[in-house]
Amino acid sequence: MNLTNMPSYLSRPLTFLGLLLLSHACYSAYEHSTLLTISPQSSSLKPTATFSLPPSASLPLDISLETILSVIMICAGLVVGAEELKPITWRAWAGKVERENGGVGPFQGLEDRLGFVDIRAKRKEFADWVRDQDSDGKR
Amino acid sequence: MPTERELAISPIVQESVQHNTRVVSNIRSLTASLFGVASGILGLESYAGFAFYLIGTFFVSVLIWAFLAKGKQGEYFQGPLSELWAGDVLGGGMSFVLTWTLFYGLVRA
Repeated sequence: MNLTNMPSYLSRPLTFLGLLLLSHACYSAYEHSTLLTISPQSSSLKPTATFSLPPSASLPLDISLETILSVIMICAGLVVGAEELKPITWRAWAGKVERENGGVGPFQGLEDRLGFVDIRAKRKEFADWVRDQDSDGKR
Repeated sequence: MPTERELAISPIVQESVQHNTRVVSNIRSLTASLFGVASGILGLESYAGFAFYLIGTFFVSVLIWAFLAKGKQGEYFQGPLSELWAGDVLGGGMSFVLTWTLFYGLVRA
């Protein structure tokens, strides 16, 4: 599967999962920072094993990785779920509109002018209609 | 900028230009505050934080280029450099700094 054709229904779950991971990482970082501020003297609990973290201990690698991964996921989810861009040149845009609306485009007003009427098709249509009326009348 | 003659040959749909700009600026403002949250959690300070923001913005631009513009940036943007790659970077920087300082303060209380 081509990666750039990721279906847009993946966008919501991806963004949601990313937000979940991000909030978890945020809470983990908060817990980690409070762990550093608690000293054994101020705590009422007597720690069985004394551990000492350096006061400048940086964020653990797994929290950093989780944060970065979640940011990448949310970005991808937002971009994939965004509205489609529209072509800016008139010919590309008009062609796209015409293809999507089944032949009715912004130039319809020009094509409906009298000079472009298919007179044979109209005549045949009228003849068919008259024949239909006749057969209905006889029945 | 295209000349008068080029515009007469291939006219521009102003509505589409506005729509594309709006899509890009929506994504930018959302992701800018997201990067603020992330750099606050990571505890980045001064230049590192701004570097993080610039790298993240570039990453989002690449995502837009690949997923939304399908690699054909000239078809969707009049000036791809200013509208896609550098569009709303400074405006998003404000919300980046806002959430950056907020989350830095929240996490390292």
